Amino acid sequence: MWESIADFVVQGIVLGGLYALIAVGISLIFGVLDVINVAHGEFFAVGGYLVFAAVVLMHLGPALGIVAATAGTFVLGLALYPLLLAPLRRRVGRRPSGPLYLVLTLGLSTFMQNGLLALAGGEYLQVPPHVRGILDLPFTSVSYQRLLVLAIAAVLLGGLFAFLKLHRYGLAVRAVAQDPDAAQSVGIVLGRVFGLTLALGVALAGASGALMAPLFNVYPAVGFPLTVKAFAITIVGGMGNLVGALIAALVLGVVESLAVMVIPSQWQNAIAFAAMIGVLLVRPQGLLGRAVAR
Amino acid sequence: MSRARRPLALGAAAVILAALPLIVPHPFVLTIATQALIWALLAASWDLLGGYTGQISFGHAGFFAVGAYAAAAVTKHAGVSPWAGLVVGMLAAALIGLAVGFPALRLRGHYLALVTLGFAEIVRLTAQNWMSLTGGPFGIYDYRTFPGLPVEPLAHRRAAYWVVLAIVAASVAVMVKTCEHTPAAKAFRAIREDEVLAATLGIHTTAYKLLAFGLSAGFAGLAGTLYAYYIVLVSPTVGAVGTTSLAIGMAVFGGLGTIWGPVIGALFLYGLNEALRFVGVVYNLIVVGLILMVFVIFVPRGLAGVAASRPRRRQRAAARADGERALGSTGN
Repeated sequence: MWESIADFVVQGIVLGGLYALIAVGISLIFGVLDVINVAHGEFFAVGGYLVFAAVVLMHLGPALGIVAATAGTFVLGLALYPLLLAPLRRRVGRRPSGPLYLVLTLGLSTFMQNGLLALAGGEYLQVPPHVRGILDLPFTSVSYQRLLVLAIAAVLLGGLFAFLKLHRYGLAVRAVAQDPDAAQSVGIVLGRVFGLTLALGVALAGASGALMAPLFNVYPAVGFPLTVKAFAITIVGGMGNLVGALIAALVLGVVESLAVMVIPSQWQNAIAFAAMIGVLLVRPQGLLGRAVAR
Repeated sequence: MSRARRPLALGAAAVILAALPLIVPHPFVLTIATQALIWALLAASWDLLGGYTGQISFGHAGFFAVGAYAAAAVTKHAGVSPWAGLVVGMLAAALIGLAVGFPALRLRGHYLALVTLGFAEIVRLTAQNWMSLTGGPFGIYDYRTFPGLPVEPLAHRRAAYWVVLAIVAASVAVMVKTCEHTPAAKAFRAIREDEVLAATLGIHTTAYKLLAFGLSAGFAGLAGTLYAYYIVLVSPTVGAVGTTSLAIGMAVFGGLGTIWGPVIGALFLYGLNEALRFVGVVYNLIVVGLILMVFVIFVPRGLAGVAASRPRRRQRAAARADGERALGSTGN
């Protein structure tokens, strides 16, 4: 009994680390650009395909594969702002954008999912574990693959937070999140910050796609359910609140794993969404957020 | 479209649509045309909520699925006639639409979109997991379609087409009427442009938003029931996000805030979608995604906007400024 609980908790923390990478990216993009990226999970899928290409097709080794996936999605992310969001932003100007950005990223999601389907086919591609072996603990055992996911997730998130806290550009990103007009008036180029934020956000998704490829398999629609779940997490944590997203992700990961013992696993996602809807209705600013008029 | 030419254009469209089975008596074409009409109803119902009142739903696949499952279930398990099943499915979807709309009234924009998206996913997961009622992943099949239709295949398809056409046309007429010629018309637009201002002007925004939610969900559900009785198989995939995505794509493509724009957008896009199947099954959805992006960025008023501004070049600039205020505009 206790062993299986320890087992589920460890699995839950790994799952939570994965959710955190995706949810923090979505929350970062929302906080800075005020855009909900519906296509976020598709970058997770792209990361998976890139690591598959690097490791299985080109025999480059897992470390290079993960770097390639992260860098590749980062570059794709850099193209997002000038190609898609900036033209729409110019058109809309200062008027409320309404559904425009949601529809735009929904279109991108459909385009990318089916683009991947056309390029790579619909098969479930398998990627061998980046590291092999199992770590034995007193209560339970964990595969090194899962530990690696957790370690890299921690490094990436730590790096992101340090970047936002310490680096000049990180400060600029936070300034824009707080008040775009004021940031612009002190000489921050909005377009550059928007482009960088998008690239950082989707690169986190790409990195998690590369990390999870051995555990999840790779197929075109692999990311979409994660996007929807990450929405739930960002809302529970408070939109734009990165620490909130991180905590909510870890909690949901553990709760979901433990819930398997009580509730059939196929209802897991429904519970996450119900929690999201409940939080939105009762506390729209998120459990950890400050009260703000929405 | 100018007011004087409108009846003419409507009459011509009605004659062409009604005569289609006689002009092209081919079962494949009729099947595609019938399904295109069902999509047209779904896209128009989305437009009523999204285009007119500016309440963005990402959950119309959920309403569609509720209608489809309710109709299929009552006909299969309770032996209810499909004609009554249409009403059951529509009412079920409208009630659930109200149930979703009521608590979600406080939410706007992004948040409403996410709540409705979560709702649709819950519907889909319920359909997939509640084996005894929904048949699980295999869905509900093997139940009666509309009674009294001819047995001979081509005549059957023809009659089914006319049934669907009549119901879709009547529904679209009701939606256009509600959104153009009733007190609700101005209230919907006022809510879209500025909800707080609308409320201060004395418009009962809660009531009108609920009305829009109920009507929109109800017609989406009706589209679902038509689907259920036409295809005679309802499986969880009807509730997938792709269904919502395609419906929104059709509405954006046709032109938001016009009802008839999304109808034309749906007929056109579904036709294109099916035609592109011959190129490859995945390429059609790539095109749908592209159309969504290109139209949102460059043609926010859709086909309807293009049609409206051609005869009046001088008013074009003014119309464009108007159209950009929201994604959609009044269209004429």
